[in-house]
Amino acid sequence: MNLKWKYLIKRTGQMILTMWIISTVLFFIFRLMPGNPLVAYINPTFTEKQQEILMEQFGLNKPLWMQYFIYLKNLLQGKLGQSFFFKEPVTNVIAKVLPNTIYLMLTSLIMAYVIGIIGGIFLAWKRGETIETYGLVFTLFTRSAPQFWVGMLLLAVFSFQLDIFPSGGVASAGIVYGSELEKLFSLQFYKHLFLPALTLTIYLLGLPLLLMRSNMLDVMDEAYVQMAKMRGVNKIRVMFKYAARNAFLPVITAMAVGIGYAMGGNVVIEKIFSWPGLGRLLVKAVSTSDYPLAQGAFILIAAIIIFMNFIADIFYNILDPRVNIEDRK
Amino acid sequence: MRRKIRFMLSFVLILVLILPIFSQTVFGAEGDRVVDVTLLTRPKSSASNEYEAINLVAKNLRKIGVQAEVKVTPWEQMADVVWYQRESWDITGWQMTARPERLDPDEFIYNLFHSSTAEKGYNFIGYKNPQYDKIAEKQRVTIDREKRKELIYKAQKILAEDVAYIYSVHPKINNVYNNQVFADDSMKEMAGLGLKNFWTYINAKPISDQKDIVLNFNDTVQAINPLYVSGTVDSWITELIWDRLMRMGQDGLPKPWAAKSVEWLNKTKVKVVLREGMKWHDGKPVTVEDVKFSFEVPKTGEAPMYRPFVKKIKNIEITGDNTLIFNLKEPWAAFETASLAKINIIPKHKWKPIIEDLKEKPKNAESYQADKPIGSGPFKFSKWEFNEKVILKANKEHFHAPKVENWVVRFVPNMEATLGMLENGEINFLAAYTGDSTLLKQTVDNDAKLTMNSSVDLGFRFLAPNHRVKPFKDKAFRKATAALTNRQIVAQVVYKGFAVPCDSVVSPALEFWHNPNIDYPSGGVKQARQILKEAGYKWDEQGRLLYPKN
Repeated sequence: MNLKWKYLIKRTGQMILTMWIISTVLFFIFRLMPGNPLVAYINPTFTEKQQEILMEQFGLNKPLWMQYFIYLKNLLQGKLGQSFFFKEPVTNVIAKVLPNTIYLMLTSLIMAYVIGIIGGIFLAWKRGETIETYGLVFTLFTRSAPQFWVGMLLLAVFSFQLDIFPSGGVASAGIVYGSELEKLFSLQFYKHLFLPALTLTIYLLGLPLLLMRSNMLDVMDEAYVQMAKMRGVNKIRVMFKYAARNAFLPVITAMAVGIGYAMGGNVVIEKIFSWPGLGRLLVKAVSTSDYPLAQGAFILIAAIIIFMNFIADIFYNILDPRVNIEDRK
Repeated sequence: MRRKIRFMLSFVLILVLILPIFSQTVFGAEGDRVVDVTLLTRPKSSASNEYEAINLVAKNLRKIGVQAEVKVTPWEQMADVVWYQRESWDITGWQMTARPERLDPDEFIYNLFHSSTAEKGYNFIGYKNPQYDKIAEKQRVTIDREKRKELIYKAQKILAEDVAYIYSVHPKINNVYNNQVFADDSMKEMAGLGLKNFWTYINAKPISDQKDIVLNFNDTVQAINPLYVSGTVDSWITELIWDRLMRMGQDGLPKPWAAKSVEWLNKTKVKVVLREGMKWHDGKPVTVEDVKFSFEVPKTGEAPMYRPFVKKIKNIEITGDNTLIFNLKEPWAAFETASLAKINIIPKHKWKPIIEDLKEKPKNAESYQADKPIGSGPFKFSKWEFNEKVILKANKEHFHAPKVENWVVRFVPNMEATLGMLENGEINFLAAYTGDSTLLKQTVDNDAKLTMNSSVDLGFRFLAPNHRVKPFKDKAFRKATAALTNRQIVAQVVYKGFAVPCDSVVSPALEFWHNPNIDYPSGGVKQARQILKEAGYKWDEQGRLLYPKN
């Protein structure tokens, strides 16, 4: 069998094993955590009978091992179960907020990586100059500034003082988008997206910028870059075609993994800007002991992260043929 | 000989060491130190006032010689322990919130303290008093309002004497609205519920181009379902989409609504005449068949949360085109509030097939979410953007058509941003605010377009002592803890004046039911020491409190 195929099968097997371990850990971790899904219903008129009905509905009246096998069986059939709290299939609940998470996270990630990569190249090129020092200090500042602080600051200035951008949500009070497409073609949506995306971009910017800069510094000492400079090749051309191209690799890997993590949403930013995303939903699911919803959301996130890691490995190979699959056998 | 003496001495020494431990556990520990107390509270970030008040009590408990430790846990975990591990905690911070059905004192008087709910129900503190039980039962079947009032007064007095709860305060409900958008006299205050109520939503009169009432809430909607008692904001929505035979009036007493009249023929027979000309949002007429069906569905087991509100109804007879007779199994004083003003009237033509279908399935009607819920209420369902907002459209054909065009609730978890939104007009009615009240007041004072209304809450904050465990099983100790609570200071310092001291489960906002002559322990550390001293408690040389000899 071709070595590449062998590698692919092996990686797929590893992915399945990892998913099983994650699913098992998730199943037990939520059940072992203090808390009880019934507490959301505590009310003076909450009777013993009602408690029994709920336990039965949630499937919590069965022994734990039986619950576990039912859960695994459902997972294999692609069923994530029914949310205790929202009383709807988990996939429906997640599907309602996932697009908003993707819009916010991908916009911020792309903006951060584009600005970060260009900034990294620029700072590496200006090594030793005053502008590099200022640039580095600024980058470290953005990386260490708490997201809630940056978010509240932007809200106070651009929303409450200057009244340029709305303060929260994905649309104004009376506006409802007819479809996701209508949302994506609406200026109103981008006005709502701007502040949360900017806050997240400021936070994410540091990693690609610093990574790109340090890779560039390594690459710029290479003989072929020096040679190009000596040959009198245009500065911009040397910077982008000779140096940046080779310094790119780890940044692309970081971005692929970053996309995976981004799918989990961002609780802090979603809360500050009342953004209806997956992060807030996850917090709600965990705090109300909504086992199916919490499990489902985390399994989905884990699957995306594992898959993006896999994609990153493949990309690595394509971008740099020296790092080939045979080397890893 | 020497060996014998050594053996005897060892034996005596062991006895000296073991006996005190043995006597403590077996003989009830007379003269022993009072056990350490753990006070449960939610985190400061989610319930700052409760956290502060609990810490104040803990500090005062230490002053009277009790080792008191404050344990901070999130609500869900705290509720789990308090509700499901009833022997395992000492005392906890707790709250009862305002809801329209709680305008009748029955829910608090009966469900919170009757011994039948002590094992698995809401009487999680384990309060048991046969004399109280009798009164709580009697008030349920006393239809004469004045006689029932006497019983409710008595019940409040017993609860205070027994110090069943250690009361803290009735907070003030702060609602703010934009006075450039709504006419002041159209915003209606309701006893114990503030401006955030049904009457404001249907009466709010726009005086500018802004024709929608846009309010906030800090959590999300769980479901929009007339057969499911779910979250707080869900109940605001259901009471606007679905009509009920009666509504709780601004004075806190039930008034006919979809019913033209409600007449008690005798103690167990109630005649209801349905208002004529009512229509469902899909244009079909509302009939007495629909009303009968709405009260019968919870009995089928498909809507278990609503079952308690109909379980005392024996049957319902349709006696005319618009007339129904409700036959009750026994006299039920809270029938109007807890049933007629609680059950949502649902369209039979929509729900009958759904209920029939659900009977074959493991799910029940609580899991059913219609894409476009149909009611007959003053607002029609328009849109629900998950985790973001719900929009209801005014039903202009309703017999009490709202003045606004839309009712919009936005889910804003960021309290600081909520204030900003109020100032820049993104919301025009502040329905929920859990932040600093003085900051809210400042914001309103600095902005002429905002008007704030503060009123005493129907709900209350308290410390729930576990009557099953030491030291709170002793009334004297509970009394002393109540004296230590210093409700006046909690109201003024912790709540910054936005609360009034509480001495009863029935709020002073309910003037008719609240007993104003309750003598509840107060006086701080000095008084607490006096109460304990009189009960036989003593202090050791280190100042630690000791149990009485008997």
